[in-house]
Amino acid sequence: MSAAAPALHRTVLRLHRTTLACWTLFVTAVLGWLGWLGGVSAPHIRHLETTCDPVRDLCNIPYLGWVYGERLGYVASVIGYGFLAVAAYAGGALIGRELENGTAALAWTQGVTPTRWLAAKLTVPALALTAGDGTLVAAFRWGWTPHRDLRLGDDWSFGGIFLARGPATPAYALCALAVGALTALLLRRTLPALAVSLGATGLLHLLLAHVRPYLWPRLTRTEPHPFELDNSAWEVARGRTAGGGHWATYHPPSHFWPLHLMETGIVLAVAALTTAAAFALVRRRTA
Amino acid sequence: MTAALSTPAPARPAPRQVRWLLRLHRPALCAWAVLVAGLAGALLWLWGPLTDAAATAWHDYDATCGRGRPCRYDQDAILRYKDVYQYTTMALLLLPFLAAAWAGAALTGREVETGTARLAWTQGVTPLRWLAARLTVPALLVAAGTALLGMLHHAAWSAGRGRVPTAKSWDDVPTFYTGGPLIAGLALAGLLIGALVGLLVGRSLVALCVSALSTAVLWIGVHTALPHLWPVATSVSGRRGFPSYSGIKVAEGIVTEGGAHRPVPTCTVDLSPQCQALNDRRGTVGFYIDYHPYSHRWPLQLASTGVLLALAVLLALAALRLLHHRTTTGGTRPGREGAAA
Repeated sequence: MSAAAPALHRTVLRLHRTTLACWTLFVTAVLGWLGWLGGVSAPHIRHLETTCDPVRDLCNIPYLGWVYGERLGYVASVIGYGFLAVAAYAGGALIGRELENGTAALAWTQGVTPTRWLAAKLTVPALALTAGDGTLVAAFRWGWTPHRDLRLGDDWSFGGIFLARGPATPAYALCALAVGALTALLLRRTLPALAVSLGATGLLHLLLAHVRPYLWPRLTRTEPHPFELDNSAWEVARGRTAGGGHWATYHPPSHFWPLHLMETGIVLAVAALTTAAAFALVRRRTA
Repeated sequence: MTAALSTPAPARPAPRQVRWLLRLHRPALCAWAVLVAGLAGALLWLWGPLTDAAATAWHDYDATCGRGRPCRYDQDAILRYKDVYQYTTMALLLLPFLAAAWAGAALTGREVETGTARLAWTQGVTPLRWLAARLTVPALLVAAGTALLGMLHHAAWSAGRGRVPTAKSWDDVPTFYTGGPLIAGLALAGLLIGALVGLLVGRSLVALCVSALSTAVLWIGVHTALPHLWPVATSVSGRRGFPSYSGIKVAEGIVTEGGAHRPVPTCTVDLSPQCQALNDRRGTVGFYIDYHPYSHRWPLQLASTGVLLALAVLLALAALRLLHHRTTTGGTRPGREGAAA
């Protein structure tokens, strides 16, 4: 029995080698894109900035900076929202298909207990996702943190950038994996599980994105006259006081980590609960 | 064998096919109905109340803030308009991918994978009839739903034009693609790509991915070809000025001494001495820009939709031909039995 676990992990890897190759390709491509943006594009704009004479040469540095920020925003969305693809994959190809066409039940008759089967099915992708997402987040932080003055169009409060800068990205991926597994075990059909898993994970994210600014106490500023907050502040609400003054609640950039870690914690808790439910379900169903 | 396939089957099976199909895909049908109704509702809300509220808020903003008085305007109304516009536009942009993924996976891919297609062909349904039903009914539903949403989106956008300063301009890429029949053409082409890929690949999940990716490739192709589907307008200026234009810029370049327009990549204005020298060297007498103004919006929409409809017909014919070929010369026994029955 002790040899069964590694063999099982090898089987999972072998069965899903195309997916693993796609995931590796995706991570490599995004890393390459980030490397180009941070290593070639940004130094090029910096070089123009120091050598270009605006009177003579028609430099368009604000425009270049805007394009640079926009491209970083695309990378952030691809990294931060990649968990939606994970949800579809986990519900459809990873678990749903095996339950639908009976290969899961077959495996359970070949000396693999259902619990071990599910554990192997979840461990291998979980490791691949954590490693890949960890690399992507580190690379994104490397590309995003410097050159604040070049990124004219983005802000730390934007959804994709907020997620791609920390552990929330792998947390969402793990949660999507767990939601996919549970949905597939409940529905036992590939395509419905794919659709429902994608929908449920998307809804969970929408809900969390909606409550995101309320996961940490906001700061309040009150003034007798209308005022503008600092550009780096994430304004949550604004209004008038009874005495005719003006107030605004907001998050300064220093609230990024508390907000981000609160959300990561919630997502990981949901992932843990969903995984526990999936194991309970598979155990009860095969008992 | 071919004769057996192409002779019209008794009239009876056709409506039954449709009924089976609707029954088999009832969850998808319900989901589609809910999606279209929900988006239509959101677009109607945007068209009427939200646009009015945002326009009023902007009016208040202009009336108070610009004149040194304390600002009094409904900022939430402006943001709500922007959010709902953005969400509905994004949802509409996803519809072609949704149609392609569904068709590739559930409509044809799954039936080929599990063998239910072959089973059906043994039950007195010819393969061509089977596929015709599978293409026609979803195509009608998808085209009707997306066309309705596209027209509603255009109506909602038009209502804000000139009244809401932050409303997107007509040549904003998502706004252009979602506002009109073009989105229906894309969704229909996506559906037929999916149906064909499902037949070709015969594996539901692979077909799902390939269909969605193929639709993305098609979209890139449409986007590249779009400016060339209708004659451009041209604006010309002398060396001292620069051509004025609006909307989609297609090409720009220099006017030579002979009056010919030559596209060039750099120095399409004389802003720097280097450019001036270069333009002197190449004999520039003026500059030109080819562009599509707002009046080209509908011609561009209709021309690209027409191309996509033609493509959809070709894809449908390709799918029918593929199945015909497979069930007559491919030598799959159940198919032959179905054809002979």
